[in-house]
Amino acid sequence: MATEKTDVVIVGVGAAGGILAAELGKAGMKVIGLERGPRFKTADFEPHDELRYFQRQDLRPNMKRDPVTWRPNVNARANTMPSLNNGNQAGGGTVHYGSLSWRLHEDDFRVRTKTIERYGEQAIPPDSSLVDWPVSYAELEPFYDKAEYELGVSGKAGNLQGNKIEGGNIFEAPRKREYPLPPLLVDQSAVLFEAGAKKIGCHPFSSPRAIISQPYQDRPGCTYCGFCQAFGCHVGAKSSILVTKLPEADATGNFKLITGAMCYRVNSDNTGRVTGVSYYGPGRSDNTIEADLVIVAPFIYDNTRLMLLSKTEKFPNGLANSSGHLGKHIMAHMMASVFVTFDDRYINNFMGPSAQKHTIDDFNADNFDHSGLGFIRGAQLSIGTPNLEGGPIAASTVPPPPGTPRWGAAYRDFFAKAYARHGAMVAQTENLPYPDQTIDLDPNVRDAWGMPAPRVTYDWRRPNERARVEFVQKKLVEIGRAMGGPHVWPAPVSPAGAPGAHHEGGTRMGSDPKDSVVNKYGQTWDHPNLFLIGSSTFPTMGTGFNPTLTIQALAYMSADAIVNRYRKNPGALL
Amino acid sequence: MTKHDESRRAFLVGGAIGAGAAASAALVPEAFAKSHKHDAAMDAPAANHGADHAMSGMSGGHGAFFNDDDSRTITAFTERLMPGAPGKPGATDAGVLNYIDLALSGAYEDQQDFYRRGVAQLDAHCSQTYGKPFRSLTAAQQDETIAVIEQGKAPAFAWPTAQAFFDTVRTHTMEGMFADPIYGGNTNFAGWRLVGFPGAQMQFTQEDMQSKRAFTREPIIGLQSRAKRKEG
Repeated sequence: MATEKTDVVIVGVGAAGGILAAELGKAGMKVIGLERGPRFKTADFEPHDELRYFQRQDLRPNMKRDPVTWRPNVNARANTMPSLNNGNQAGGGTVHYGSLSWRLHEDDFRVRTKTIERYGEQAIPPDSSLVDWPVSYAELEPFYDKAEYELGVSGKAGNLQGNKIEGGNIFEAPRKREYPLPPLLVDQSAVLFEAGAKKIGCHPFSSPRAIISQPYQDRPGCTYCGFCQAFGCHVGAKSSILVTKLPEADATGNFKLITGAMCYRVNSDNTGRVTGVSYYGPGRSDNTIEADLVIVAPFIYDNTRLMLLSKTEKFPNGLANSSGHLGKHIMAHMMASVFVTFDDRYINNFMGPSAQKHTIDDFNADNFDHSGLGFIRGAQLSIGTPNLEGGPIAASTVPPPPGTPRWGAAYRDFFAKAYARHGAMVAQTENLPYPDQTIDLDPNVRDAWGMPAPRVTYDWRRPNERARVEFVQKKLVEIGRAMGGPHVWPAPVSPAGAPGAHHEGGTRMGSDPKDSVVNKYGQTWDHPNLFLIGSSTFPTMGTGFNPTLTIQALAYMSADAIVNRYRKNPGALL
Repeated sequence: MTKHDESRRAFLVGGAIGAGAAASAALVPEAFAKSHKHDAAMDAPAANHGADHAMSGMSGGHGAFFNDDDSRTITAFTERLMPGAPGKPGATDAGVLNYIDLALSGAYEDQQDFYRRGVAQLDAHCSQTYGKPFRSLTAAQQDETIAVIEQGKAPAFAWPTAQAFFDTVRTHTMEGMFADPIYGGNTNFAGWRLVGFPGAQMQFTQEDMQSKRAFTREPIIGLQSRAKRKEG
């Protein structure tokens, strides 16, 4: 067994961990990063291979080695989920993500208060644990700004210091300055969506994405190759942690990355301090790192699992779990799709960044009046590609329109005609937190290292959620018709209750140690030198927007607090 | 990988490079023209049609996993899922059998038993219903059988269930049609030509993005032809 000593150990070097590695390293702290997967180079992403990266999910966890199981309720047996969307490499999910980069709206941070103000308390489902965040938009704005500029996000402002700007998202919270890069080029699906959405009175705009539309920070601009979501970028135009923050962390001389390292325990002593971590290295070596500060920043399953696996006599329910809220309030975006095809014109949506290309925010969050609708909160409505990827294998997963079979000559002719003439719209719906949506340890399934798999108990099919999905899917059909599409049809929404995309929660942040796991900096109430960072800390989903930029802004805020305050008084709560 | 696979793969790759460099037909389904034995009449035995292809070299090879009978069954089944017609390449033209055969001996090794039992149950169902295995049925009977299986109405199936078997073979058929030829299917970019996909392009221009017309610029790009070009 090898033992190393360092100032800081970071478990999981992805969207959040990569930012912390760079910021803490720059401040002179010695940092070791542990990453279970490999570290790729941009040149590794040359093969544009839909089978390997989209279909077989080569950049995502291998579910045979790293299973996560799911059951709809406590009475059902859990089975291994077929796939997950998080990453499995240095840079994490930012290597293969669609790069959507959103700020939450101002009122999303006080969702409980605002919902009660507008609709009364009875509008909130009684079994939901909807809460305000312990952080405000105003506090986070400088860090959103920093993330956009340091990483490189392309978009157009819709609200510059309170001035609404046509062509940007007029619903967005006020921003201090423009995006660092102009919006990406639009493809034909975006052109059609823009016209259709305007026709029904909505406010479409090019989705802000962490893909550089022009050369930036010595990286070349996007080539619009289309091999984007599910793929690594072959020119490094995607502003992943791999090509932005990791080189920066390397340059500090204070950062060491250990790949192939599976952390299996956070070590603690009887005073409530954590002392470091233990991990299996390549070849299954057993290793320990002693560190003054432990930052745990993998995807949400491993955050909760690691806390549970690290239980001791003093902390029999797991670390950071004195509140009993560890592993609870799990959330995910449910995706409702609508497809549109044309007879006479091509769309060629295999071109350009493939995910959620053009968006409306009109039916998201509380941007519309929910009175009498039977649900609260909304969805991001966008157009792009089926399953966020533009190749023909992804398109073969599209359920054909009613009356067309899924196979045979009629299907072949449908597919041959529709492939280059279709657009795929998706409503990415915010789901509310519920305390009985949980992660715990599966008693039956183990991973390749012999550890119990994380087990998710989750069923999105609640009245509030069903009503929302139905409402926004109808809106997408309206837009499809307004686009002039002769063929517009909705896909059946997932009949089972399994979580959709962007899983969040499990170590929720709050302002009271009695009902939350961490404070707004991700610092655990129970162990002040242990931080949990990432979307596991989100107390609500915020919106139907993708979470990554908010994860990154929070990571910058945590790094700032650690460097400028925690370090002066280590071991104290911030 | 066995030596046999290596040589077969090399052969496939040769085909892919040729297609990428030499094809001059516009990349639209209508323009895809190729001599193709027309789909068997719906009332004629379908098996020989598939078997001809299956046994005749790269357009539908097997040998890594399937035995001869099972290869005929899978050839027939996948061809009914994506039937070929003049100007419209189907599963046999695209080498879907070869794709699945290689996948089951490699990346999908853990699904060997799924296929073994699935094919056995399929034949049990067909024997009960028609007195013959699937591969010996007429195309119309094969279609009838697939429809029943898709709806899960074939009691001969236990594990895998009929629907699971249908879904998996359909998924693998689509993979064999549309994955890069490096994996043994999509022969001469048959699948990509059918739908108008230009392959592993490295960039599109603003003009490309603004076009409302079919994208027809040649060549279609496959992974090994691209790697070869870079070396050369």
